[in-house]
Amino acid sequence: MFADIVSNLSLGLSIAASPEGFLFLVIGAFLGMIVGLFPGFGPAAGIAVLIPMTFGLEPTIAIIMLAGIYYGSMYGGTITSILINTPGESATVASTIDGYPLAQKGRAGPALVMQAIASFFGGTVGVVLITALAPSLANFAASFGPSEYFLIIAVGLLMLTTMMGDNKFKGFISALIGFAIGTVGVDVMSGQQRYTFGSSELIGGVYFVAVAIGLFGIGELMHCMFNGQHTHPAKRLRIGFRDKEFWPSKKDYHESRWTFWRGSAIGFIAGVLPGSGATLGSIIGYSVEKKVAKDPEKFGKGEMRGLVAPEAANNAASAGAMVPLLALGIPGSGATAVLLGAFLMWGLQPGPLLIVNDPEFVWGLIASMYLGNMILIAMSIFAIPLFVKFLDIPYVNVVPVIVLLCVIGAYAINASIIETWILVGSGLVGFAMKKYGYSPAATVLALVLGSMAEETFLQTYIISQGTMNLFWERPVSLVLSIILLAVIIVPLIVSFRGRIRKKAAVSSS
Amino acid sequence: MKKWFAAALLLLSIGYTIYGLNTLTLLTSSGRPAAGFFPLLIGVLLIVSCAVNLWGDVQEWQKERQTGVRPVHQADPEAEAKADALGVDAHAIDGGPEYGRDVFIVFVYICAFVGIMKIVGALLAMILFMLAFLFTFNRGHVIGNVIYSIALPGFLYGLFKILLNASLPTSPFGF
Repeated sequence: MFADIVSNLSLGLSIAASPEGFLFLVIGAFLGMIVGLFPGFGPAAGIAVLIPMTFGLEPTIAIIMLAGIYYGSMYGGTITSILINTPGESATVASTIDGYPLAQKGRAGPALVMQAIASFFGGTVGVVLITALAPSLANFAASFGPSEYFLIIAVGLLMLTTMMGDNKFKGFISALIGFAIGTVGVDVMSGQQRYTFGSSELIGGVYFVAVAIGLFGIGELMHCMFNGQHTHPAKRLRIGFRDKEFWPSKKDYHESRWTFWRGSAIGFIAGVLPGSGATLGSIIGYSVEKKVAKDPEKFGKGEMRGLVAPEAANNAASAGAMVPLLALGIPGSGATAVLLGAFLMWGLQPGPLLIVNDPEFVWGLIASMYLGNMILIAMSIFAIPLFVKFLDIPYVNVVPVIVLLCVIGAYAINASIIETWILVGSGLVGFAMKKYGYSPAATVLALVLGSMAEETFLQTYIISQGTMNLFWERPVSLVLSIILLAVIIVPLIVSFRGRIRKKAAVSSS
Repeated sequence: MKKWFAAALLLLSIGYTIYGLNTLTLLTSSGRPAAGFFPLLIGVLLIVSCAVNLWGDVQEWQKERQTGVRPVHQADPEAEAKADALGVDAHAIDGGPEYGRDVFIVFVYICAFVGIMKIVGALLAMILFMLAFLFTFNRGHVIGNVIYSIALPGFLYGLFKILLNASLPTSPFGF
């Protein structure tokens, strides 16, 4: 098995390290850093907006570049979390808790270096685990039937929504909206048109890229404007890696030595679980680190471990999320849902057979992630002055760039003005969803997985002759059904216990 | 506005379900699920969950009216809700003034941009959007705004139209 992995990785490296592959990997990583830098423009929007720019490329090279944007943004997003207390993207929210106080203490340099090292560590551990797990999972998944696939999708979406605290109902509605949009077009089973309103442009369904760009790009941008981001002046920050205080101390490394491992392990598990993603991974990473610390009172006041844990976790999670994507064809987050859409656009058939049918693609992508992490750590440390300089650009000048890329990108894909209007409508809905606590990520995920969910659900219904007993008769289905029930019941119990405790506290006081 | 958004979602859900019931077949002649089965399932779940959601939002609004306390808006409600669920305090970046009017203006500009794109061509539409946006939100930098409004659309037009050979709307003048 080890020999197989080595030979597959060499095959992948021959593609990723080719001049073209390497060039677009560097471009992807660089763009990812910039995408991460600007608040309100996360990896999902970045990938969706830049898909049209990969039109002239080979599919593998295009996906290598788009994946570079995906994990590159995890590195870039923390720079603003540390320097200006504004996370560049959701997965770096937890990094502000200790990152910004570190900068206020005059330790911005060590914080930036440690986040880069933690990101590299988490990302590399994640890719090593992908290399080991993705082929085995794909082999295992080859025996999956429709009931297993439907349950994985259901578990993923429910996990995404139930982890939204008080907003879990809104998360559930967000996923249903995605399913509803996904029903537009021709029904694959019967050939009947659904919700096309006589328009020939809707027969093929609502194209997910326009919706994704609208929800993540225009919607997030409008939300940033609502928060007054465009009124903030340029930051004019300066950081140089030649400064003595730029580098972390031995104490920083020593204290964080286990944090790197813990954060990476937690993040990877969170990433592999469908629906969790890097945001949840980083928050769990932070929470666990604080709980296991002997001095939790230091957290939130500029503790290096409080920065290292979420950083290692979000990068490991972003790598972990590639496992279900590559092995099952099921994305676990908004950004990987957009990547799945890109796979389909390039004619790749995601699922367990992808590794068998397209080994150059899968191993090229995995090998590119090893190289990408190396490029990104070098960029994150030695090019920090350059990336910090990007923050000199006032947000008011960034807004038109995003709008033009979104509109022109959405139009260019199919030269369709209807899709461009869908983008505008999705933008408005995305803004409202973001503002009122709904989950645009759940909508895109459900939209991308909608047809698969419907097909597998109906197949299960037909095979079991309407009894649905396939959901508990097959061993894997049974385990997944139990997990599904646990995902529904556990948060209810937790919330019920919380209410009882609150009531008890109120009555005792 | 939160409750109105929830109400709009409920109305759309009802519309989605009724339209589906009127236009789609639920079961085939052999009793198997047909094209309308899954949409009906989604529609019913949407109606029930949107109704419960609207009820919750209306109650929250009534509570706000009684107490006079309006919750501060959050920078990233989804991520912050997840942090809350895990007992992590990630709320350092919330609050501050709201700029609803600016959001409305930029939305109108985007609509106008898309509306005129087919008529005046992508390049001119981009330039007009940039000029309108920058002279609304970045006043006082006349020369910079004009240069930026020509340079960025020119670059993007060149990139998409010439380098990537993408199909973009052209004006009657051929660009």
